[in-house]
Amino acid sequence: MIEMIKASKVYSEDVEALKDISVSIASGEMFFIIGMSGAGKTTLLKLISSMEAPTSGLIEIAGQPVHLLKGYKLARLRQKIGVAYQDFKLLTDRTAAENIAISMEVSYKKPQIIRKRVKDLLAALDLTDKHNKITGELSRGEQQRVTLARAIANSPAMILVDEPTGNLDAETTEKVIKLLTKCNKSGATVVIATHDDLIYRHTPHRIMELQKGSILSVIRGNGL
Amino acid sequence: MSFWFTVIRQVGRNLRQTWSSQLMTLLTVTLSVLIFSFFYLVYTNMLKWGDRLGDDLSLIVYLEEEPGPELREQLIKKITTFDEVEKISFITRAQAYQRFAEQLGQNQDVLNDLPKDFLPPSIEVIPLKNLRSLNQVKLFSAYLEKLPGTVKVQYGHEWIEKFYYFTKLLSIVMLLSGTLLILTTIFMVAYTIRLTILGRKDELELLKLVGATNNYIRVPFLLEGLLQGILGSTFGIISLYILFNWIKLRFSDPGYLTMFEFSFFPPTVSITIVGISILLCTFGSFSTMQKFLRV
Repeated sequence: MIEMIKASKVYSEDVEALKDISVSIASGEMFFIIGMSGAGKTTLLKLISSMEAPTSGLIEIAGQPVHLLKGYKLARLRQKIGVAYQDFKLLTDRTAAENIAISMEVSYKKPQIIRKRVKDLLAALDLTDKHNKITGELSRGEQQRVTLARAIANSPAMILVDEPTGNLDAETTEKVIKLLTKCNKSGATVVIATHDDLIYRHTPHRIMELQKGSILSVIRGNGL
Repeated sequence: MSFWFTVIRQVGRNLRQTWSSQLMTLLTVTLSVLIFSFFYLVYTNMLKWGDRLGDDLSLIVYLEEEPGPELREQLIKKITTFDEVEKISFITRAQAYQRFAEQLGQNQDVLNDLPKDFLPPSIEVIPLKNLRSLNQVKLFSAYLEKLPGTVKVQYGHEWIEKFYYFTKLLSIVMLLSGTLLILTTIFMVAYTIRLTILGRKDELELLKLVGATNNYIRVPFLLEGLLQGILGSTFGIISLYILFNWIKLRFSDPGYLTMFEFSFFPPTVSITIVGISILLCTFGSFSTMQKFLRV
């Protein structure tokens, strides 16, 4: 699904965010990217989601070099990728339901399907009562869950999540992980960037550790 | 959800978010169309009036001698070399006397003591009834005056000349108001669309990230420009029609507009003005998108 070969990202002479990253993530895999703040986790997700282009190297998704895609092909690819950004990127003057619906509207889903999906997702994330609430008025934790709901709403083939539990309590964290696992079980490739070891401590999936933009290790979790 | 349903919803949202600037743009487009079409209406009516004036307009070239057949041919050639004309007639001394006598009617006795060849022979030149030819009357007269054997050239009245200067002035005003129409429609629409784009910057960025296609993002803005064009120009033409009827009603006393017989545009002209305004507004919106909405 995702192929990265010697991908690097340099912002300026002094800032080398990623250095020669080579990794393959299979279709339907759940994959964790861990590391300290500034290790390059977010940059890696931005490269995969084609928000940014690599300075050098190759990144392919389903055999397509993402940084070379443009126009309609790029739009179609992005529809298949759900991203929950660390800075949420919510429209703070719209309701939670409207924010979640956006990702389905761009792929012209029927209104009744959108309404049902939005309801189900809000229920799964304990946000039913926030359906018509303006997201600007929600707490950070609630905003984070709306962001996650928007990322998975369109049932994408790939889900990229950046620090999904940063603002959540233990109970909600568990719910979020449960939801992501459910998506993964139904076939989606899930890539989670986090520094919260509670999430990956007992995972049976692969974990890649980044340090100062380079791969420190790629190990399989013990699954305990 | 169909493409057009989504697009129309986006347009509605844009209009709601920036309604005050949209209203200002609509007003500007309406006013520009009104100003331009007003001058164009006056101009076209003046042209029609000019055509009617042309019916009475002829140049009379008084000659020293009656020209023989060969000289007549040469004079016709010389006249048509300068400009195409509708008619050239040669008036002999006898014909001139005859006409004069007819004009005098019952008083033609006064001519009894005069010789029948006391009036000079002349050429009557009727120019083509179009504004270009009529505007050239003065130049034409100067040219005819220089023809060998010409004594004097007489034409129309001085006020006819003034009238054509007036139509010339009108054509300049029309050109200026046309330029105003083009500039205001393009720039105002472009500016409003730019405001909308800036106001929805975050949303547009998000739309790109969740996979919205170029058409999904751009078509609503293009439709906005189109809508401004349709509404602005239609309101402009309707306002002109109301103004036209009001003026007609107020100044319908004899001596005013009845002399001019003002008439409104035929439907094709109105549709053309609306069509051109729509094109200009859409172009304004398109140019902004090309500049500020690179997807």
